[in-house]
Amino acid sequence: MLDYTFQYGQIWPYLPRLIDGAYLALEIAFLSFCGGLLIGTANASLLSFGPQWIAKPIQAFVVFFTNTPQLVQIYFLYFALPDAGILLSSYAAVLIGMTLNAGAYLTEIQRAGFSTRRQSEMEAAIVLGFSRWQQIRYVILPHIARVLFPPLSNHFIIMTLGTSMAAIFGVEELTGQALNINSITFRSLEIFSVVAALYIAITLLASLALGLLGSLLFRTKLRVI
Amino acid sequence: MVIIWRSALHHLVIKDLSAHYGTVQVLDSINLEIARGEVVGLMGPSGSGKSSILRVLTGLTPLSAGSVSLNGEVINYSSAESVRNMRERSAIVFQQYNLFQNMTALENVTIAPVKIRNRDPEEVEAEARALLSKVGLTDQISRYPDQLSGGQQQRVAIARALALKPEILLLDEITAALDPELVSDVLDTIRALASEGMTMIIVSHEMGFMREVSHRIAFMAQGNIIECGKAEQIFNSPREARTREFVSKILKH
Repeated sequence: MLDYTFQYGQIWPYLPRLIDGAYLALEIAFLSFCGGLLIGTANASLLSFGPQWIAKPIQAFVVFFTNTPQLVQIYFLYFALPDAGILLSSYAAVLIGMTLNAGAYLTEIQRAGFSTRRQSEMEAAIVLGFSRWQQIRYVILPHIARVLFPPLSNHFIIMTLGTSMAAIFGVEELTGQALNINSITFRSLEIFSVVAALYIAITLLASLALGLLGSLLFRTKLRVI
Repeated sequence: MVIIWRSALHHLVIKDLSAHYGTVQVLDSINLEIARGEVVGLMGPSGSGKSSILRVLTGLTPLSAGSVSLNGEVINYSSAESVRNMRERSAIVFQQYNLFQNMTALENVTIAPVKIRNRDPEEVEAEARALLSKVGLTDQISRYPDQLSGGQQQRVAIARALALKPEILLLDEITAALDPELVSDVLDTIRALASEGMTMIIVSHEMGFMREVSHRIAFMAQGNIIECGKAEQIFNSPREARTREFVSKILKH
């Protein structure tokens, strides 16, 4: 039998620090997702509409970042780049690493979305007299945005959880704060159960916000759990 | 002077028109003259080139030889302006409706007049509502295509085509993807347009309807027009053996 007395009372004073950590986790996820979205959109556009020669370097980038661990990528930025004279703060290294990693995954997700363009709708637009830009503006983009919204939302949630990796580099996001508090109180069970609950809370919150946004903008079905 | 005389007589003249998909010839020297207000039906087996004629006319498929003239003016399909002119005067309705999925029925009808022709949105919306009610849709205009039945979607597509006030309407097997009970609604709409004097080219497998609504019917096979004449003549006393064979097969069932 587990002979353990829960002493949540010892960690309540640290709750504000955990909530600060949760906020920082969301911030890192949001910033690196936005950066990754820019990279992914640019890459997917170039793959779908750009010149042929550009495909190889983009594919190399995608293959490299989707086939190496995120942790190793950030290690490289944080510990190897200083040898080349580039010194990054732990926050910057995590942010850049997660942005590049997200860029690779979001390239793949969006490339798949771009390929769902429906030729039939395009033909209708052409015979109605739409210019190329009008076809993109009124037919292609709204369709792609609607198709891509659910998988992009999912990736954002995965990235929110992935921010816990930042703790290894001393960033005081949710997991980082938990490690700090653990070394003060040694109440591991209490701390990490609260941390788990907070992760569930922020991902549910993010899912709900994204779900509402999706149902408003793209008539996607609201489904959080 | 000759040109003016021809334009008064013929709305659309297709001359020696050929087209290829890769190395496959889909149209082989097609000749067809269509008068203003005339309804011409194209019939024939699958792959005979019926839909290809409509696609070439609208510039979706390039022609490899021959010419098309509208109101006596030859359309230059390699000139963007000439093609735009053709597309402003004609409209096509597709078998699979091809509605914009991200827009409501009403938005599907108003987008081209507002965004392409830069017309007043309120005026266009009033016209669109009138057009949609003309095709029998009044309660469903705020719905998206995936919330409408096939027949309703096809009638939205017809309203969308009419919103640009075309002189010529091209109908590409518009009832082929519909449930039988929905077909009559769509055909009623077309019947009304024909009686209003719209020039139309109809590709359809609805033989009874083609016979009733078409002034002339062209029978096609392997990219050629085998025979063209009044509906009664084509159905009752076809001149060519190939036509006779086709008509006897379709009238059997």
